[in-house]
Amino acid sequence: MVAAAGRVSRRSLLRGGLGAAGLLLLGGSAAWLWRPGLAGGRLTTTGRAVFLAVAQAVLEGCLPTEPAARARALDAHARHLDETLAALPAAVRSELGLLLGLLSVAAGRRWLTGLQVDWTEADVPAVQAALDRMRADDDPLRLQAYHALRDLNNAAFFAQPEQWSLLGYPGPTPV
Amino acid sequence: MSDRPDPIRDGLARGWKVYGGRHPGARPLPRELSCDVAIVGSGAGAGITAELMAKAGLDVVLIEEGPLKSSSDFRQLEREAYPALYQDSAARKTADQAVTILQGRCVGGSTTVNWTSSFRTPDETLAWWQRHYGLSEYGAEDLSPWFLQAERRLGIGPWLAPPNENNDLLRRGAAKLGIAAAAIQRNVKGCWNLGSCGLGCPTNAKQSMLVTTIPAALDRGARLLVEMRAQAFEHRGGRISALECIAVEPDGTPIDDATLRIEARHYVVAGGAINSPALLLRSGLPDPHGHLGTRTFLHPVVISAAAFDQRVAGWSGAPQTIYSDHFLGVDAIDGPIGYKLEAPPLHPLIFATTTSGFGLEQARLMKLFPHMHALLALLRDGFHPQSPGGTVTLKRDGSPKLDYPLTDFVMDGARRALLAMAEIQFAAGAREVLPGHERGRSLRSWSEAQEVIGALPMKPLLTRVVSAHVMGGCGMAGSEMLGVVRPDGRHWQVENLSVHDGSIFPTSIGANPQLSIYGIVNRLATRLAERLSGRAVQLA
Repeated sequence: MVAAAGRVSRRSLLRGGLGAAGLLLLGGSAAWLWRPGLAGGRLTTTGRAVFLAVAQAVLEGCLPTEPAARARALDAHARHLDETLAALPAAVRSELGLLLGLLSVAAGRRWLTGLQVDWTEADVPAVQAALDRMRADDDPLRLQAYHALRDLNNAAFFAQPEQWSLLGYPGPTPV
Repeated sequence: MSDRPDPIRDGLARGWKVYGGRHPGARPLPRELSCDVAIVGSGAGAGITAELMAKAGLDVVLIEEGPLKSSSDFRQLEREAYPALYQDSAARKTADQAVTILQGRCVGGSTTVNWTSSFRTPDETLAWWQRHYGLSEYGAEDLSPWFLQAERRLGIGPWLAPPNENNDLLRRGAAKLGIAAAAIQRNVKGCWNLGSCGLGCPTNAKQSMLVTTIPAALDRGARLLVEMRAQAFEHRGGRISALECIAVEPDGTPIDDATLRIEARHYVVAGGAINSPALLLRSGLPDPHGHLGTRTFLHPVVISAAAFDQRVAGWSGAPQTIYSDHFLGVDAIDGPIGYKLEAPPLHPLIFATTTSGFGLEQARLMKLFPHMHALLALLRDGFHPQSPGGTVTLKRDGSPKLDYPLTDFVMDGARRALLAMAEIQFAAGAREVLPGHERGRSLRSWSEAQEVIGALPMKPLLTRVVSAHVMGGCGMAGSEMLGVVRPDGRHWQVENLSVHDGSIFPTSIGANPQLSIYGIVNRLATRLAERLSGRAVQLA
């Protein structure tokens, strides 16, 4: 279920504060930092940074720990994320791009996740603490964002045959 | 690619008239078509309707937004099946994102990807419709012959193989608690017991519309348009004059200039709940009493996973072969919301995205995958004032949006269901139980489960809620004051328009709805075919 398992609606973003607080956050010196999270249906550099930071938090214990193997696994995961996103309806991709754009700006990231450092500098415990804050919040916007990031990472990762040995899943029965 | 026979590829080779899409042998799209009957959709209601209309000698055109895929394409892989065969990659959402909806989007509709569970409409649901919606001809005895025909046509019958361990745990746990459970009938012929029904049946054993009624209609000369969206009806003076369609990319993006206009004597809308009311809304059809799109039901589902010492292998073997209706009968149908229990199939992606949490705890649970079991509780919505269902409206781009409030009344049932499932799982010997809730945790005993689940905040987005059954939105009633369509499926205000899918149900069904659609549409379409053609026809 789910590739798009979580997505955040434009209406929700507006209702949740992007319209007012978000514009304030993005105003002035922060606005020029805005970068789309998706372009042409694929993750941009900034969108990829958000997703891979979250991936390492969500998939802790499932990703290799040896640095070179981990880097290869994350590269492959980024490709699988692109494939997963490409299959979503354009409207959903656009909503997701909006979320990633917000998360890629320091003010937006801090407001939505409480994460104080940039995604590329955040360690796994810091991102996990951010995810915990998001799902502990009663604000639907933070919960929606949490589900989107968590579920899309899980969908892209556990759908791949190379992960199945980890699960003890033999794959489909040949016919 | 499977080496098994593929009746769809064979049919295409024989010259079936299938237009649009990207399948082998696709014919180019015409700009205009005329026919006797234009049917929007190709799922349960559309398939039954198409076969009956074609049998009556009528010229039929089916319009399907999804692709034509068949057993050669069905490789039992989630990463291929969800994007290709489901709405929004199997992640259609309600407006607040709190319910994930599994709904088919391919030739055969949800019947191509469902888990084969076949129940007639429960008697008490029909009695409710008779009492509250003026559907006097909807008694269980009235419908029985129509269900019987559908069951014969689609091979619906008892499943004689033993249940897989995932289902047998429901049977054993319920038995220990004195809770009645029974076997589920299935629409299969020569089933290989693979467990991949939700990914498209690779052996053509599942008697979906894809391999039964649609091929029967195509063999009789019906035309099928695929990857084609029914955009809007042209209408004037209470009559439809044409249906405007546009070709779409696999991700649903309309293709500029690839439009098609269809003129028909009669139009049947069977695009499934959510999509069918959306088409009527886009068309601006009359809705004098404001019912269109309202009372859309989901059977909201909550899930409880559990780990066992023994291997469960929840991906293997027929899914959903045991059920319990015990908790539908504890209270009156219009009392506290009741629920049906079933054991869904487990595959890695669906399991990882339906459970909660992340990090090392998630990794621990994923590594227990072969030992995991799951139960689902399907809440029977629509029978109480605090369970009015959701409302379909249109986004600015004309696509549908379903606003479905998960009321406290519904979520009270969700809590009772999480408790009941945990008790059954511990009774069956579970080592730990994991309620589908972001603030849940691994529970080691029934007493711990009572304490923790009893205190969970049962709020949308915190509680994992999914749905595989979308119903209502074009409700049927014996009075135009109460519904969108008449008891015979015809629109109350538009004379040459019928709705033949789950969107006509005035409440949820209280059981997996495919056979309700087959049986009820069998009667609607048989009578409509006779009216349009003057010929008597039978499904089986």
